[in-house]
Amino acid sequence: MPQKYILKLYVVGSSVASERALINLKELISQESETVFELEMIDVTKYPQLAEDDKILAIPTLIMKLPPPVRKIIGDLSDKEKVLLGLNLIPQNK
Amino acid sequence: MTAKMKGIAAKAKSTDKSPVVRKGVQKILTGIRGFDEVLEGGLPKGRFFLVTGSTGTGKTVFTSEFLYRGITDYNENGVFVTFEENPGDIIKNVKGFGWNFDMLIRKKRLVFVDASPDKVITTELGKYDFSGLVERIKFAVNQVKAQRVAIDALGMLFSKFTNKDAVREVIYNICDELKRLGVTTVITAEKAGDRMNNLSRQEVEEYVVDGVAELSLNPGQQQFVRKMFVKKLRGVGYRSGIVEFDITSNGLEVFPKIEVNRLVSKTEFKKREKFGIKGIDKALEGGIPQGHMLLISGNTGTGKTLFGMHFIVQGIKKGQRAVYIALEEPVEQIKKTAREFGFDFTKYEKEGKLIFVCPSLIDISNDKLLYQIVNAANKIGAKRVVVDSISSLQSATMPEESVRQFLYQTSSFFKTNGITCLLNYLSGSNFGAARGQLLASLDTNMIRLTSLVDGLIALLYVERGQRVKRILNILKMRGCWHSNDIFQYTINNEGINLGERYEE
Repeated sequence: MPQKYILKLYVVGSSVASERALINLKELISQESETVFELEMIDVTKYPQLAEDDKILAIPTLIMKLPPPVRKIIGDLSDKEKVLLGLNLIPQNK
Repeated sequence: MTAKMKGIAAKAKSTDKSPVVRKGVQKILTGIRGFDEVLEGGLPKGRFFLVTGSTGTGKTVFTSEFLYRGITDYNENGVFVTFEENPGDIIKNVKGFGWNFDMLIRKKRLVFVDASPDKVITTELGKYDFSGLVERIKFAVNQVKAQRVAIDALGMLFSKFTNKDAVREVIYNICDELKRLGVTTVITAEKAGDRMNNLSRQEVEEYVVDGVAELSLNPGQQQFVRKMFVKKLRGVGYRSGIVEFDITSNGLEVFPKIEVNRLVSKTEFKKREKFGIKGIDKALEGGIPQGHMLLISGNTGTGKTLFGMHFIVQGIKKGQRAVYIALEEPVEQIKKTAREFGFDFTKYEKEGKLIFVCPSLIDISNDKLLYQIVNAANKIGAKRVVVDSISSLQSATMPEESVRQFLYQTSSFFKTNGITCLLNYLSGSNFGAARGQLLASLDTNMIRLTSLVDGLIALLYVERGQRVKRILNILKMRGCWHSNDIFQYTINNEGINLGERYEE
């Protein structure tokens, strides 16, 4: 039974950091074949109430809703190793 | 970043120099009691005002009241951006002041942007900015069509995030956006030494805000005294200096310094204010000249309070409203005493003809007391004031010099408004007046105060034939003739009766 991840990526319009975070995240997801990801990208300018509910300050912010506990990773996710660590997805070959 | 700062600085400068803008700055009333007077009409509309101070100085109460009064008194909706306390706690805390934030939120008059500490584990990985926060604030402002924004404890961002440049930037961005939206903003920041965390106070004060108030708690003799120092208000007038304030059961109360003009005097020697006690009015050739300040001194039980009561009742009968400053007895007790002599103070109070001012005497300051008196007098347009008693200020915690200063300020205020005032003074005069030297026992402390007042009536006891007799003399009454006789007087259930000249 593969582990299921529910991720939300908060961005504002199309900022450089947001674009980069999305690219980094997609690349990372494509490499994790063992896991099922559900990724939702939310533009704060369009859905400000969602940002309010999730208490978003920094952009980009990635929220890991599942599996628990809920975590937030802010920034452009440039350091892949640390993102994996943050999401509890330590690569099996390491 | 640097370019941005310069841009804001340049903008501010040009605003300052333009006389048109200076004259045309529109102000909004905060609704915080006394504060708008310090600001000479309120905060400049559409600008930023910084409230600093250490923990517990009242910053959050200030911002909460700024929003609350805006909504309830001026129909200006508000946004509360909180970085420290969560909205639930704030809502709960302000209930104590009678402010129902829940209801205002339901009616879409108020909305919170919750930026309080997050329980979710947060990791920083790579570059970010705070556009999420800016978008949320913009959304909130549009949502309730806010005209006021409060940002509480902005500096908390510094302790939560490592990217200090991003934090600096967002502060400028928020200010830019809110200025564009035309809302008036109050920001609070903890005062920690000379820096607000990583943002120097100077930076914030120079570039971001147009005005600064610093709140502080100072040790008094019995309790802490709250003070407020409005340091600047770019482009508009304000009263500088340190003023006191209280946090009362219904919000802040600021006590601005009362400006007194010694050049104006409305003393009218032709208009006389009567006591309604026949003999005295006659001995004064018709009464006290309007605008005079009269000291009535006497030992305990000589009837000073009763003289004050007569004076108030006579005024009200002639259509003059009055303020009674009760520094000695509780108001209820004064009313009961008055009733014994047939004076219905409760009725006068209900009819708006009489106001009692009864401040706590612990750590009372002249600014605060004077403000309360002026406020009460202006409220009903009083023409008569009784202070019962001035000596209780001395015996409380007010230093003697402050009492003199207080007298000086009050007399100036009364004179510019044509208000006639009685000051009761508990003297230490003794009973041992020898035959032919009845006034020899007068209290020298009291005499020292008399240079500040226009008149003095001394009440004395003399012991004669195993009885205590009460005698009275008008020692001084500036600018008018008065009897020099020593009168005997008695007190019965109708009040004071002045008898004939005292004969040994």
